[in-house]
Amino acid sequence: MTRIWRILGPVLFLLLIPSALRAAGVRDLVETNWLEQIGRFFTFRDVAVRYVLAGSILLGLSCGLLGSFIVVRKMALVGDTLSHAVLPGVALGFLWNMTKDPLTILIGATIAGLVGTSLVSAITQTTRLKEDTALGLVLASFFAAGICLITMIQRLPTGNKSGLDKFLFGQAAALGADDVTLMAIVAVVAVGSVIAFYKELLATSFDPGFARASGLPADWIHHGLMLVLTASLVVALQAVGVVLVSAMLITPAAAAYLLTDRLHRLVVLAAFFGVLAGVAGAFLSFVGPSLPTGPLMVVGASTVFAAAFLFGPRHGVLARWWRQRSGMARTQRENTLKSMFHVIETNGFRAEGVTLTELALRRRETMEDVQRLGKKLARHGLATVTSDVLYFTPAGRQRASEIVRNHRLWELYLTNSANIAADHVHEDAEKIEHILGESVVRELERKLGYATVDPHGKSIPTPRAIHGDAGLVDETKGRRK
Amino acid sequence: MTSDPVAPLEIHDVTVAYHRKPVLWGVDLVIPAGQLIGIVGPNGAGKSTLIKACMGLLPMQSGWVKIFGLPFSKVASRVGYVPQRESVDWDFPVNVMDVVLMGRYGRLGLLRRPSKTDRELARSCLEKVHLLPYANRQIANLSGGQQQRVFLARALAQEADLYFMDEPFAGVDAATESAIITVLRELRDRGKTILVVHHDLPTARQYFDQLLLLNMNVIAFGKTEEVFTAELLQKTYGGRLTILSEVAQALGAQSAPR
Amino acid sequence: MSQLIPPFDAHAVLVAPWTENVSLFGWIAAMGFCVASACGLVGNYLMLRRMALMGDAVSHSILPGLVVAFLVSGSRGTVPMFIGALSAGAITTVLIETIHKRTRVKQDAAIGIAFSTLFAIGVILTVTYAGQVDLDAECVLYGEIAFVPLEPMVRLGSLVLGPEPFFRMASVLLGVAVLVAAFYKELLVSSFDPGLAKSLGINPSIMHYGLMAALSVVVVSAFESVGAILVIAMLILPGATASLLTTRLPLVHGLSLVHAALSSWLGIALGVWLDCSLAAAMVVAGAGLFALAWIFSPREGLIARWRSHHEKLTPHSSQGIVSRDEVERSSLRST
Repeated sequence: MTRIWRILGPVLFLLLIPSALRAAGVRDLVETNWLEQIGRFFTFRDVAVRYVLAGSILLGLSCGLLGSFIVVRKMALVGDTLSHAVLPGVALGFLWNMTKDPLTILIGATIAGLVGTSLVSAITQTTRLKEDTALGLVLASFFAAGICLITMIQRLPTGNKSGLDKFLFGQAAALGADDVTLMAIVAVVAVGSVIAFYKELLATSFDPGFARASGLPADWIHHGLMLVLTASLVVALQAVGVVLVSAMLITPAAAAYLLTDRLHRLVVLAAFFGVLAGVAGAFLSFVGPSLPTGPLMVVGASTVFAAAFLFGPRHGVLARWWRQRSGMARTQRENTLKSMFHVIETNGFRAEGVTLTELALRRRETMEDVQRLGKKLARHGLATVTSDVLYFTPAGRQRASEIVRNHRLWELYLTNSANIAADHVHEDAEKIEHILGESVVRELERKLGYATVDPHGKSIPTPRAIHGDAGLVDETKGRRK
Repeated sequence: MTSDPVAPLEIHDVTVAYHRKPVLWGVDLVIPAGQLIGIVGPNGAGKSTLIKACMGLLPMQSGWVKIFGLPFSKVASRVGYVPQRESVDWDFPVNVMDVVLMGRYGRLGLLRRPSKTDRELARSCLEKVHLLPYANRQIANLSGGQQQRVFLARALAQEADLYFMDEPFAGVDAATESAIITVLRELRDRGKTILVVHHDLPTARQYFDQLLLLNMNVIAFGKTEEVFTAELLQKTYGGRLTILSEVAQALGAQSAPR
Repeated sequence: MSQLIPPFDAHAVLVAPWTENVSLFGWIAAMGFCVASACGLVGNYLMLRRMALMGDAVSHSILPGLVVAFLVSGSRGTVPMFIGALSAGAITTVLIETIHKRTRVKQDAAIGIAFSTLFAIGVILTVTYAGQVDLDAECVLYGEIAFVPLEPMVRLGSLVLGPEPFFRMASVLLGVAVLVAAFYKELLVSSFDPGLAKSLGINPSIMHYGLMAALSVVVVSAFESVGAILVIAMLILPGATASLLTTRLPLVHGLSLVHAALSSWLGIALGVWLDCSLAAAMVVAGAGLFALAWIFSPREGLIARWRSHHEKLTPHSSQGIVSRDEVERSSLRST
């Protein structure tokens, strides 16, 4: 059940945005320009705007979806080459009827793209030239041929109004009904292919050698992917432009890559980010002074990427910094607990609490520092402070005993098993004590024969002492061998 | 279980070259069934190349390979493969279970999803390599030995009769090494044939029933005790280059830029 | 169609530019040669280091640097342009490293994200400040080499050295040639084996950043003639074509210069005939030369391979690798 929701969830969220904004527009609360514009844009009052919005959503969806595979297959440069290589095909498609017929342009551009990528394979297979050289070569040569054709077309009497120059940087406002229909068809084919052939795509992306050895048709999958990719690129050209359309493939998918560890989630997230970027770009172009849509969509996608980079919960830069900081804070708290334990132990477990002075002496810190430490412990429920004396809470006592046990077990282990001198093991254990997990500790205890005394002769807190309800107990008194 | 009268693997006069430099030259071999066979030789001897060529992953300039009497494409479902760990990007967004399930894809055919039986089988394969508790872990968060065991579990999920393994023991800890060899011996006892490219001579003698000494062509092949001799090993790894490798060097030098 | 492709008048296309209009086409050809040569020399090292993608990246990301330089300095002077380009190049490098070293995003995607973002920002700035910046969006993509002769001339006393852009490009070419000659060994070793370079006392990072700086300078100088995308062709085509004909690096450099000259000349012919962008025509001509080399190269060409593929099989030989004679000859040599 949850898996369905993971896919449906983002889709619903996607539908929520226009609905919410539509509601805002209808209520017409505020008179500012911005909200009015948003309302106008998203409530489909303008027929032309309808096409722009629909087109942006569709292209964001296709590009984001397919871009996921480009990113995980490390084919970013291939995407870039493909997007430039289609240009002569666009020009030829225009020449077919001397009009901007979306279908002929799609066919022409797709053929050009496929010819380009075949040439790249041919060059790498028949010469010493490496793949990046071949890609750059085809990219620039085909693009040059396209520019030649376009400048030739612009010379013609009918050519000046061809609108072909809009293909360079994109003009979403130029999208018409035919364009959007074609985009919808391509989007449906893209989504359908990804769903139908998902496992083949996954296997060939992850380990092409193994996939091939399993009998999966890796070459067909690759060619199929390239075909659908080319088609998606081409229908996106009018809105985003030749130069920047490859960014719509890569950037939303890269942002998704930073946020999830499973491919199927990546694909959905990438499609969602693609839509976000597409709509943002189209809207800004609608509002702004005759700016081409392509660069705006790319800036939108890059903003999403930057957000994922900084704020991603698992891999984001801020999250990592936060984890590191909280890790250091935790270590500091545990060291304080350990010091408290040591003070009590040194006093033969007679007193229940530790005065701030004793702690300050033990830790060689000032009274103010120790007071602050005490407050931190109190905030985390590990100790209580009453008139300058610190008392363990049950949780604090447990954790203190665990830390001390970990430390001493590790020292004993190093001394016995690794033959390290007893006076060298302390620092190592200082670092390890905070991170030993329960299973490792149990393993250590077993290996050391449930020893009770560490290399320095101090007793090792047993599980009973740690989890028991009595106060701290001096174990060496309880056992006699 | 009836044993197959046809040899699991037959290689005839296979030659493979990279950019005009020969890597394998005229290899002839018949592999018997139900054996655990190690392939040893110096670096660049063509060991990985041999098994990749058998599975059609590399083009052969001459010769042919028959698996259970048929070309590879017709018996892919009877062949299992453990590639080198470096062949994969371990940052890929999949977890351990996803990878093992990929071993079942070859049998599913297009448009089909893995069934519950497939998942059960995958779980039992993970259990055999002691990785079941890690089924949901993303593969980047595994140690080298664990990654190797994931690959092994994936190959087990293929339920093959002939297994090719490319340096499965490279860079793994002792616990993983013993886990792997246990699994391999169990496979062999069930009548499977396993070819393992191996990098370490002392353990090669311990682990394998038969050894293939390879240095661009077959130096020797047979029972480990018979083949693991100083003379043959010297010939395989020896200081003096064979004529073949000299020619290969010369050809390679011709193509390099100066 | 007949309107699109003008009739081919051999005289008008091949002869006239040099006899009737040499003051115009002469400078264009010279500019084309300088651009292709300088880019080709630097591009050869990019090719060796498998860094062709970096050429793509730098050429795109220079745009915002240029626009900001224009806006800040208010002029199209050389110095602000170079500063703008080098800063943009530095920012690109930092961005790419930040992305791919701190996250699991791989280098290819990191490069794509970095340069497309910067380029997009550049285009937005160009269009927004169209009045103040003497660039239009199309020019950014494919330049306008035809306008070079119309630029103010640089004079040394009474000697006319050439239009400003040409003078700049020729100086850059000279600088690149001198650096390549001076640091030939260092560049070669650090490209092939950075470890060996380090042990020989050559610092591979300095070589790398020096190369990046040279790349930025070359690209920005070429920018207004050929634009951001065609410059990639200029970086790769000469060296790629030369590599198909020889394996020795000095010859590769030399043949790159020949390729540059030929593609300039043929490009002008093509451009005059088809009446299209001259820079694009030069690239198409260069690609044509590449195709010729690919097919006809005596060693690596398609025809040569097809021939060796159909050699007769002899015992102990393998198709296209070695014949029995070669084996016997080399075995005689080794004893």
